[in-house]
Amino acid sequence: MATQAVISGNGDQRRTLVIIFLRGAADGLALVPPVGDDHFHRARPRLAAAAKDGVRLDGHFGLHARMRPLESAWRDGDLAIVHACGMEDDTRSHFEAQDLMEHGGVAAGGWLGRYLRTRPPAVAGALACVAVGKALPECLLGAPTASVMQSFEDFTLGGGTPAFRTQLERLYAMERGRLGAAARDTFDALVRIEALRTSPRPPDHGAVYGRDEFSAGLARLAQLIKADVGLEAASIDLPGWDSHFAQQGQVESLAGRLAEGLAAFRRDLGRRMATTTVVVMTEFGRTVEENSAFGTDHGRGSAMLVLGGGVAGGRMHGVWHGLAPDKLERRGTLDGYGDLPVLNNYRNVLSSVLARHGANPANLAVTFPGFTLDPLNLFA
Amino acid sequence: MRPTRRQFIAAGTGAILATGAGCGRAGDDVRRRIGLPTHRPLEGDLTPPGAPEIDPISHVLNRLTFGARPGDHRRVAAMGVPAFIEEQLAPDRIDDRVCDRVIRRGFDHLEDPRSSLLPRDAGAPDPLARMFPALDHQSTRVGELYEFKDKTLLEDLSRATLLRAVLSERQLLEVMVQFWTDHFNIDPSKGESRWLKAADDRDVIRAHALGDFRMLLRASAVSPAMLWYLDGRVNRRAGSGDRPNENYARELLELHTLGVHGGYTQQDVLEVARCLTGWTVRDRKRFLRGRVEFVERLHDDGPKRVLGHEIPAGLGAGDLDRVLDIVAAHPATARHLAWKLCRRFIADEPPETAMAAVAAAFTAAGGSIPAALRALFATPEFNAPATRAAKFKRPFHYVVSALRATNARTDASRDVLDALVRLGHAPFRWATPDGYPEEATHWQNTLLWRWNFATALVGGRVRGSTVDAADLKEKLGGDDALMATVLGRRPSEAERVAYHQSGSGLALLLASPAFQSC
Repeated sequence: MATQAVISGNGDQRRTLVIIFLRGAADGLALVPPVGDDHFHRARPRLAAAAKDGVRLDGHFGLHARMRPLESAWRDGDLAIVHACGMEDDTRSHFEAQDLMEHGGVAAGGWLGRYLRTRPPAVAGALACVAVGKALPECLLGAPTASVMQSFEDFTLGGGTPAFRTQLERLYAMERGRLGAAARDTFDALVRIEALRTSPRPPDHGAVYGRDEFSAGLARLAQLIKADVGLEAASIDLPGWDSHFAQQGQVESLAGRLAEGLAAFRRDLGRRMATTTVVVMTEFGRTVEENSAFGTDHGRGSAMLVLGGGVAGGRMHGVWHGLAPDKLERRGTLDGYGDLPVLNNYRNVLSSVLARHGANPANLAVTFPGFTLDPLNLFA
Repeated sequence: MRPTRRQFIAAGTGAILATGAGCGRAGDDVRRRIGLPTHRPLEGDLTPPGAPEIDPISHVLNRLTFGARPGDHRRVAAMGVPAFIEEQLAPDRIDDRVCDRVIRRGFDHLEDPRSSLLPRDAGAPDPLARMFPALDHQSTRVGELYEFKDKTLLEDLSRATLLRAVLSERQLLEVMVQFWTDHFNIDPSKGESRWLKAADDRDVIRAHALGDFRMLLRASAVSPAMLWYLDGRVNRRAGSGDRPNENYARELLELHTLGVHGGYTQQDVLEVARCLTGWTVRDRKRFLRGRVEFVERLHDDGPKRVLGHEIPAGLGAGDLDRVLDIVAAHPATARHLAWKLCRRFIADEPPETAMAAVAAAFTAAGGSIPAALRALFATPEFNAPATRAAKFKRPFHYVVSALRATNARTDASRDVLDALVRLGHAPFRWATPDGYPEEATHWQNTLLWRWNFATALVGGRVRGSTVDAADLKEKLGGDDALMATVLGRRPSEAERVAYHQSGSGLALLLASPAFQSC
């Protein structure tokens, strides 16, 4: 542990934020169905039928049946849900919406990158920020440091002798700009991960992770958190939610992966969940009505999940107006069209979370420029 | 892999036709080289670049190809940069028989069944189709792909893509194939795209990559793989309550033509979707699987209004071409494509004046892709010294350029594909319709895996790919010549020192900062 303390500095005092992005526009009405609303059943005669097998959260909302592994987090008060979430821009383009949302509006760099660059204290360790996957997500653009990682084992300089590494480091040290910075991050991260690899730890408290890529990513994040390497922010994607066609099986499988992964992560971290917050978000929701192909098309509002220590959980947060036709957002001129409106801006969820992680008003203003924040009170 | 019907046919007719149809001209030298793994022998004048910075010759090689091979700099110097650009803009006139043979030999099933085994002059009637008219039927050509295991097909398609990028003399064509593959991205993991993407690659992307944009767009719109990938096949109006499926219509406007700020409205998306209702593809449970057809009764035949143009009721299948005419000719489409082309060939944040010149040339030439590129390569911005060596290679470009620079012998098999997966840039693996990102910012955190590929390749740890560093150095004429060949310029003093002290000079060059850029 002495080695890790040197690596991390005071890493164990840090909180860790994990952002899970459901790419492809997850259907919030399938994940957190308003089962007590007759309009829901009317708009989705075929798709809504499955909701009766789900978890009853309160008198009005349920949780998708495959999300049952998260029921205990809800009952323990560690899971809060905000429905009708999204952004003010009504683009229904996945890419534009993800881009806008991850940039935190029309702004240079990503919101999480800007947060990390401006939050006190200004010094970030090389492993302060990890993106699980193959590439850096837009939300981390501009982060003082960010490492892309698929597995610890791969995070080594294969076959290179010390001389090779020394010479390579020398050449990159002469590089200015982004390439030089990326190389320095890479060399720093190499050193830290090598230390982690020498003392691998199995999941704690009997947690069992699935074999899918998403769960494996969460398991590695848990290892980094438990090893006190100073991880402050991490991102991981769960893609594949664009359910235009026969969505039932697709949503079931993804909802299962999401909930099982999160439940294992929560169990594995145990009391460390007190300093960890997980946010689940997506670019926009889907049409209230099902389409002719048993799917749903691009809509507006979806649900956000916030899981972690100190969360005022076990209840819904934010504004909700129901699905009565006059409460829906109209678009186009054809009859019967309406979308769940965005009643809760995603920034008001994220800013509440960032405040919990130590953000002050000044750096929240830099994180979400051009927007008057009105953070929800997601923490007790 | 079991033989296809076509191979039976070919076996039967081969004896009659094959020897007389042009195989003889290829010569023994080619036959010797078609075994996998393969590369070209180092021959001719291999004089390396001599300038201390990237010169105009290395610059066009960096941007128009997937990296210079030993000897390329000398060849382009001899013919001149303008002649090289014109050569690359007319790929049909380039003799590419080594690459063609390698693909034909290893990947016969990816080729057009009408012509692959029996070479013929362009435009001449297909001898096989003359004997078996059914082969001319689109569904037969596409349906045959279903005979393969989907994973085999995808791996073969990826390998063929990689091999072509490494071996082909038609380098700009391969670069543009990648460009349009991203532009009209299809992730074959969705539905029957897993078989049909191979037809899309052959009949849409490769057929039109350096052709006419309107034809490319039309081919893509009715590509069976695209109809699967963006749900066009289930976009229908069977009853009055049916909503159209907007998926393809939206991406057509947002990604394929006008661009997200091209001035269309949500209502336009809906109207385009209505125009395209009824186009579908027969799935594999049905006879003539893979066949694209227009089903009149699933078409919404009412009047529509798209981008201010009235489309009268009753046009049926004709709605499709009306829509494509409108969007292809829209000024926002020329601007959108010019932006993407300039981003690929000039800089991640391309200069306005260059984009305007490319858009104007594209429009003036009626959507000719070579005309747009010719204008692009003539812009002062493309030719400015500050543009040179300033673009970060995407990982596919990086890997292929390493194989080309070292004249590696490769079969493009599993290890190389695995490296590309690790680098996040394996062919046909991008899930969303926007295609792999172009900008450096997306790729900069892949450095470690680039370094690892460099050491593995030179160290002989990439199975199926070998580099003979000693032979390369000897043929090029020593360390300095090797450095200049790989870097496209004379090495700096720091690079020379690092090369000699690293213990593996060639790997160090491939891992060095300079080799990451083009």
